[in-house]
Amino acid sequence: MSNNPYSTPQVLSHQEGGRPLEVDRLHKNSGWRLYFQTVIARAYPRIIGQQREKSWLFFDILLPLLSVCAYVFVYRAIKAPEDYIGFVVVGGAMTAFWMNVLWSMSSQLYWEKEQGNLALYIMSPTSMMAVLLGMALGGLLATTLRALVIIVLGSLFFHVQYAVVSFVQLFAVFILAMFALYGLGMMAASLYLLLSREAWHISNLAQEPIYLFSGFYFPIKNFSFWISAISSIIPLTLGLDAMRQLVFKTGPSLGFVSVGVEILVLSILSVVFLFGARLMLAYMEKLAIREGRLTENRR
Amino acid sequence: MNFAIRTEKLSRIYKIRGGKKSEPRTLVALNDINLEIRPGELFGLLGPNGAGKTTLIKILTTLLAPSTGHAWVAGYDVANEPDRVRPRINMVTGGETSGYGLLTVRENLWMFSQFYGLSSTVANQNIKHLLEVVGLSDRTNAKSSDLSTGLRQKMNIVRGFMTDPDVLFLDEPTLGLDVGASREVRHFIRSWVDDNPTRTLLLTTHYMVEADELCDRVAIINQGRVLACDSPANLKHNLQQDAIFHLEVSPFNGSLNSEKFEALPGVCNVVHRPQDGFESLDLILEEEHALAGVINTLNSANIRLLNLQKNEPTLEDVFVNLVGQSMEQIEQKGGTGEQ
Amino acid sequence: MQATDIQTTKKNIPLYLRSFRMAAWLGWQIESNWTDPFLFAIYSIIKPLAGAAILVVMYSVITSGDFASPIFSYIYLGNAFYMYVGAVMSGISWAVLDDREHYKTLKYMYVAPINIPAYLIGRGVAKFLVGSISVIITIVFGVLFLHVNVDPLAINWPLFLISLVIGIVMLAMMGLILAGISLLIVQHVWFIGDAVAGALFLFSGAIFPLEVLPVWLRPFGFIMPVTYWLELLRRSLVGRVAEAFPTLSALNNLQLIGILLGLSILFGIVAQFLFRYCEHIARERGLIDMVTNY
Repeated sequence: MSNNPYSTPQVLSHQEGGRPLEVDRLHKNSGWRLYFQTVIARAYPRIIGQQREKSWLFFDILLPLLSVCAYVFVYRAIKAPEDYIGFVVVGGAMTAFWMNVLWSMSSQLYWEKEQGNLALYIMSPTSMMAVLLGMALGGLLATTLRALVIIVLGSLFFHVQYAVVSFVQLFAVFILAMFALYGLGMMAASLYLLLSREAWHISNLAQEPIYLFSGFYFPIKNFSFWISAISSIIPLTLGLDAMRQLVFKTGPSLGFVSVGVEILVLSILSVVFLFGARLMLAYMEKLAIREGRLTENRR
Repeated sequence: MNFAIRTEKLSRIYKIRGGKKSEPRTLVALNDINLEIRPGELFGLLGPNGAGKTTLIKILTTLLAPSTGHAWVAGYDVANEPDRVRPRINMVTGGETSGYGLLTVRENLWMFSQFYGLSSTVANQNIKHLLEVVGLSDRTNAKSSDLSTGLRQKMNIVRGFMTDPDVLFLDEPTLGLDVGASREVRHFIRSWVDDNPTRTLLLTTHYMVEADELCDRVAIINQGRVLACDSPANLKHNLQQDAIFHLEVSPFNGSLNSEKFEALPGVCNVVHRPQDGFESLDLILEEEHALAGVINTLNSANIRLLNLQKNEPTLEDVFVNLVGQSMEQIEQKGGTGEQ
Repeated sequence: MQATDIQTTKKNIPLYLRSFRMAAWLGWQIESNWTDPFLFAIYSIIKPLAGAAILVVMYSVITSGDFASPIFSYIYLGNAFYMYVGAVMSGISWAVLDDREHYKTLKYMYVAPINIPAYLIGRGVAKFLVGSISVIITIVFGVLFLHVNVDPLAINWPLFLISLVIGIVMLAMMGLILAGISLLIVQHVWFIGDAVAGALFLFSGAIFPLEVLPVWLRPFGFIMPVTYWLELLRRSLVGRVAEAFPTLSALNNLQLIGILLGLSILFGIVAQFLFRYCEHIARERGLIDMVTNY
C-alpha cells in the first residue's frame, strides 16, 4: 500500500554498547517543538468543546456577572465611596482568571486521572507543564470573555470612573500576575498527581479564603501589614492592589505598597512559581509513581 | 545481547488499607520477576485476573515504580530514566475510556499524536491508514462519546499503534471486540511485529487461544510469579512429549489389525475400536512423522481415511498442570486482587 | 384526581422513601469519607467563615466596624442562611453530573426500580447537613464575636422552624429543576448549582434590601420564594432588624408564609414537569450515560 507508512524500507544501524538497534522511523519532534505541539493539542479539546456546547455562555459569563453585581449592591446599601464599586467590578473580573487556574487547570487533573488520560499524559514523552498550559490556554477564551463582560458591562451599568495612570504599567502588572498565577496553579496541579478527592476538596476550601485575603473586593491595606504581606504570596493580591492604584483615583491612597514594589515582587513570584512548578511536578510525579497513585480511582 | 525488555528480580508490594479501623496489610503483586524479551518478539503474558499482568505493564510503562529489582525497556531503566523510555513506548489497555467525548475519533487520535511529537501530516496519514485496518474509517468524524465499547476499543488500538513505538504494550487489547474484529486485530498485531524486526510487542491476555495463536513466547504468571516462559509449542510439548492422533477409517474387513500398526516404526501404542460403519484408531506416536507410515499402511490395504484429528494439549492444560487449577476456577475464587 | 391515582401514589410512598433513604446514605458516604473527621471539621468551619468574613470586612472597611447597625445583622444573617441555597441546589444538581460522568452509575439508577427525583433529593441531604453545620457555625460566630443581635430567648421558634422547613423543601424543588437541566448539559458546567445560587444572590434580598436594586430589577426579587424565606427567618430570629427594612413590612407573618408556600408549590409543580421533560429529552438523545469530560 503506497499510503502505508509502515512499508517504508528500514535501515538497521549497527548496535552499540548494549542499547537496542536504532532505526530511522517516523520522525518525532522533541524539545520546544514538542512543547508547543502539546500546548496546542491540549488546548484544542477546550476550544472545540466551547464551540460545540455553548451553555458556558450562560453559566460561565452571565451568571457570574449577576453574582458580582450582588457585591456592588452591598456597597451601595452601606453607602460606600464610588471607587469601591469599581474595586468590585475589577475584582470580579479577575476572579475569572482565578477560577480558570483553580478549576479548569489544577483540579482538571483529578478528572483526567479518573478518565485514564493522566496515565497517558505521563507515559508520553511530553511535559506535564505543556499539558497544563494547554488546558489553561484552552479555557482562556471563556475566561477572557467573562472578565471583559464583567468589566465592560459592570463599568457601564454602575458608571465606574477610571483614571488610568499608566497603561504600560497596567499591562505589565496584568501579564506578570498571570505568569505568577498560572505558575502557582501548576504547582497546585502537582498535588493532584498524588492526591485525588482530597486535593479537590482542598481546592474547594481555598476558594473563599483566597477571595478574602487577596482582597478581591476591598483593598488589602485594611488588614495588618503581616496578613497583607503573607497574602501577597497569591499573585492576584498584589496584582489587584497594583491595578487599583493604577486605574482608580483613590487607588494610590489605598494601596498596600507602591506599584513599583508590587511589579518587582510579581516578577520574582513569576520566576519562583514557574520554576517551582517544574520542580514540584517532577517531584510529585516521582512520588505518585512510587506510591502507585497515578492510576488509582479513589473517588 | 541487548533486549527490548528486561527485568531482574522485579517485585512490587502494595499496602492495602482495609478500612478506617483495621491495620494495613501488604499485597505482593509481583514477586521476583525475571524476563528477557528480544527485539522483534511478540511476547505474551498469560494469567488469570489478579495475577500481576497489569502491575507489570504499569512498571514497564513507567507508571509505577518497582518495590525492588530493576526493569529496562528499550535499553533504559524505567525507574531512573523514564524520560528516555517514554518516546519509545506506547500502551493500550482493554476497556479504556481515555480521550474526550466531545471530540471526533480523528481529533482524539490527532491530539494524542501531538504528545509524541508527530507532525500533523504524518499523524493524519497514520490515523487514516490504521482506522481502515481496524474497520473504523466510516466513523472517523463521529464523536467518540457516540461510539460503542467495541468501537471505542478500536480507537484505543489505533492510538497505540499510530506513534510507531519501539515497544508496544497491549493489556487485554481485544476486550470488548466482537469475534470478527478480534480476529482482524490479532492479524494486524502479528503483521505489525513481522514487518519490522526492531518492533517488540508485549501482550497480556487471559484468552489462551489468543496467546497460542499470536505469541512467539509466552510467560505464564500467577500470583505475581512467572511459572513458565517458553514458546507455546514448547510449553505444550513439554507437557506431552508424544504425538497423539485419532483416526476414523473405513472398515478393515479382516485386512488389518492393531498389531500391524504397532509394528510400524515410531508407533508406541494403538487403540482400535470397531464402530458402526467405521473403525476408530487412537495412535500414540513417538514423533509426528511416524503418521506417514500409518497412512501408507492404510493406503496399501485400500482403507479410506474418513477423519484425522491431532490431540494436542492446550495452553490451558499447561496452565492447569503448572497451577493446579484452571483459570476459571481461580477467577471464581476471586482472583488475587491485583491493583 | 382518580381513586386509582391516590392508591398508586399510596403504593409508591415506600418507593419514594426507599429511594430517598438509600440516596441520603450514599450521599453522606461520598461527602464525608474523603478525609478523617478532624480535617472534615476544619473544612466545615473554615469555608463558611471565610465566606462570611468577606462581607464582614467589606462592611467593616466602609462603616468602620459599626456592627450594632441593623444593616449588619441583615447582611450577616442573610448571608448565613443563603448558604443553604447553594448547598441544597448544588447538592441535588451535582448528583446528576457526578453519577453520570464520574461514577457512571446514573444509567444503573435509571434501570433500577427507584424514584429518580426522590433519589436526587436524597443525594442532596448530605450537602444540606454540611450546609447546616456551616450555617450554625456562622451564626454562632456572629453572635459571639460580631455582636449579631440574636437573643435565643426572643426567637420565634415556631415561625423559624416552619419557615426553615418550607424553605428547604422549596430549595429542593429548585435543585430538582437544575438537576433536570443537568441531564442535558456537559460536565464542564458542573458548577451550575453554585452559579445559579450566586446569581440569585442578587435578587433575593439576602445581603441588601431590595430597595437598593434599580426599580426594574426589583420584580425579580418579588417572584423569588427565597426573598420571602429569608425575610421570615430574619423576622423569627431578629424581629427588630427585619422591622428596620420596609421591603416586605406591609405583609404579616402569615401572609409571608402563605406566599412562600404558594411559590414553593408553584416551583414544585414546575420542577416536576421540567424534570420529566428534561428526562424525556435526555432519553431521546441518549444522554443518560454520556461522558463529556474535556
